[in-house]
Amino acid sequence: MMKKLSGARIVIEALIQENVKVIFGYPGGAVLPIYDELFKQNKIRHILVRHEQAAVHAAEGYARSTGKVGVVLVTSGPGATNTVTGLTDAMMDSVPVVCISGQVPTHMIGNDAFQEADIVGITRPCTKHNYLVKEISKLAESIHSAFHIAKNGRPGPVLVDIPKDIQTFETKYGGKKHTKSFAFYKPNTKPSRDTIFEFVNLLEKSKKPIFYVGGGVINSGSRASIYLKKLLKITGFPCTQTLMGLGATPTSDDQFIGMLGMHGTYEANLSMNKSDLMICIGARFDDRITGKVSGFSPKSKKVHLDIDASSFNKSVNVDLLIQGDLSKILEMTLKYIENKRISFSKEKISAWWIQINKWRAKNCLNYKNSRSIIKPQYALQRLDFLTKHLDPFITTEVGQHQMWAAQFLTFNKPKHWMTSGGLGTMGYGLPAAMGVQIAHPKDLVIDVAGEASILMNIQEMSTIKQYRLPVKIFILNNHYMGMVRQWQELLHGNRLSESYMDSLPDFVKLAESFGATGLRVSKPGEMDDLIKEMIKIKGPVICDVVVDPKENCFPMIPSGSTHDQMLLGPNDKLEGEISEEGMVLV
Amino acid sequence: MTESHSKHILSIMVDNEPGVLARIVGLFSGRGYNIESLSVSEVDSDKFLSRVTVVTSGTKNIIDQIKAQVRKLIPVHNLIDITELKSFIGKELILMKLDIKQKTVQEVHKHIENIGAKILFEDKTTTIIEFSGTPTEISGLIKKMKVYNIIELTRSGLVSMALGKDYIRR
Ligand SMILES: Cc1ncc(C[n+]2csc(CCOP(=O)(O)OP(=O)(O)O)c2C)c(N)n1
Ligand SMILES: [Mg+2]
Repeated sequence: MMKKLSGARIVIEALIQENVKVIFGYPGGAVLPIYDELFKQNKIRHILVRHEQAAVHAAEGYARSTGKVGVVLVTSGPGATNTVTGLTDAMMDSVPVVCISGQVPTHMIGNDAFQEADIVGITRPCTKHNYLVKEISKLAESIHSAFHIAKNGRPGPVLVDIPKDIQTFETKYGGKKHTKSFAFYKPNTKPSRDTIFEFVNLLEKSKKPIFYVGGGVINSGSRASIYLKKLLKITGFPCTQTLMGLGATPTSDDQFIGMLGMHGTYEANLSMNKSDLMICIGARFDDRITGKVSGFSPKSKKVHLDIDASSFNKSVNVDLLIQGDLSKILEMTLKYIENKRISFSKEKISAWWIQINKWRAKNCLNYKNSRSIIKPQYALQRLDFLTKHLDPFITTEVGQHQMWAAQFLTFNKPKHWMTSGGLGTMGYGLPAAMGVQIAHPKDLVIDVAGEASILMNIQEMSTIKQYRLPVKIFILNNHYMGMVRQWQELLHGNRLSESYMDSLPDFVKLAESFGATGLRVSKPGEMDDLIKEMIKIKGPVICDVVVDPKENCFPMIPSGSTHDQMLLGPNDKLEGEISEEGMVLV
Repeated sequence: MTESHSKHILSIMVDNEPGVLARIVGLFSGRGYNIESLSVSEVDSDKFLSRVTVVTSGTKNIIDQIKAQVRKLIPVHNLIDITELKSFIGKELILMKLDIKQKTVQEVHKHIENIGAKILFEDKTTTIIEFSGTPTEISGLIKKMKVYNIIELTRSGLVSMALGKDYIRR
């Protein structure tokens, strides 16, 4: 006979059934019964963060580096509202996260009770779905469906709000197998055969093709990456990747022509602009990618492969849509090509490659190095050179350093690059790195940070200390909110309103105060030694890399411009004024 | 660049659970789509299903986007764009309270009868009438009834159904 269990116990049992090994959380009154059950078991490890936002980012880092669902546990009211930025971040970047929040008891809901917040109402637009569990009989079903929804279809965060009385009520729980109707959500994952046929047809005809690859490939799983690699090889087509897609196939590959978009390479953006066939795989024509939509790749036929039908024709109209799981689409495509013995002539695209290589020869990521001052690009090139063989996991904060990291680091495997793309959340990188490190305790995990962003979740140094997480924090310290300063220089008459970072902490002492190692470097000649030392140190390290405070990130497509109106360096002047239309864009 | 806007009637089958309407309405307001009319009620009490009818307007791209976004909501079972079907009917219900102090009862009754409205309640000074019809008929009625003082009125919002075999599956 099934035993009756308390709601709190059912939460733990259901998490175990979902194969959860780690949760990131912070306790409080409304989740004490669940914390009590956590105390009594040893299958699930709880990581005590220092702020609930960090719990979500850590769960995101865990999820993105493993492909599993990240789990968060927080209390009601402020605990729950602190997760909103993290949940929105996970929503924008399609990261599977389940967040369990405590709530005031059911009979108090709506009374403005102590630490009551309508978190289901607040998070409705920033979760894929959410539940308020009002009856104990619905508890198990809600938790299992939360996991099911979070990881199926286009992944995303799901919140389950559990009132405290529900945690103490008892009911029978027979495990996931005996839980009814949690799997009613069935997104279509199978592409139609006709579209595959049409797709291959377009591939065959194109003279100027380009693969435009996004994070969807990584989300679809490692098979998608393998199939895509094969398709690239068979076709010989050039490939560009979005910020989210970096590493979907190795970026050291010769067919890879760099990241595209606002700070993408000259060759990637021009290839997009001049192509006759654009093959978008698991990306979403985001405004950072397209620039001014009316001038976006005007002459190309566009194919869009995605699991999410709402991504189709959202900002850019495409000619062929294929909806389904990317690994399935790519697998079917390869099979079709094989069965029909279709071969792709390299000759047909040779003129295209010659053109692309001319663009490549511009060497658009080039910068003027210095002997006296560390250029941020140089620091990252050295970091890449000295760590590449270790296949490090990289997280970032948000700003210039993030873009430079995307431009200068090599990503040879999927799930090794965690950055806040859609929301652009400063403070993401450090907690995300914790989550990655928990999932991969033996691996090298580096947070490439800016001195401003790192302060947004710096309290997590305490978590890092507690769990002895050997996270390496690589701060490109330019004493500015560099990205803000760059826009102010470009668009606001160089009036640097509030973008100077005054009163920064001494990062070396800050590291030491948390039992970590602090290293500082300010001479280019010392760069390599610092990186080598950082790798050698077993524990957490903060590297304060003092870089040129005035360096800007290029290439850049100013907002409201098109791919062929790129600024390549500090001496490239804007042609005329930026339009008013462009000025209001973010 | 100016694409034509057209009106669409969306019929949406959803789980009748708390917050489901907020999800739909929130999606429309959050993404800047407009709602011209909205009606909702449970239609299957065994399976707890409600049917929502939304009248909205936009370019083809916007309408497609609205449909794709609504279909993504977890409690949404099915959505059909009634306006895209061969033929359909759309009806609305209106209740109207009239001030009839100045007029003779007979005249009022005759007028109401001609229009095809039903009297639900009457006393010495007021009459409540009920009328159902297409949105155009309803607007026509309101115009005609302006001769009386309309004290208040309320409309149900459009409900709609395809003719023939086109139907919204559960
Ligand atoms: C939470 C949050 N607040 C504000 C911003 C706007 N913003 C984008 S980049 C940036 C500056 C980041 O400075 P820093 O971390 O030093 O990086 P840098 O650009 O100097 O490399 C700011 C304020 C943001 N992205 N996120
Ligand atoms: Mg900075």
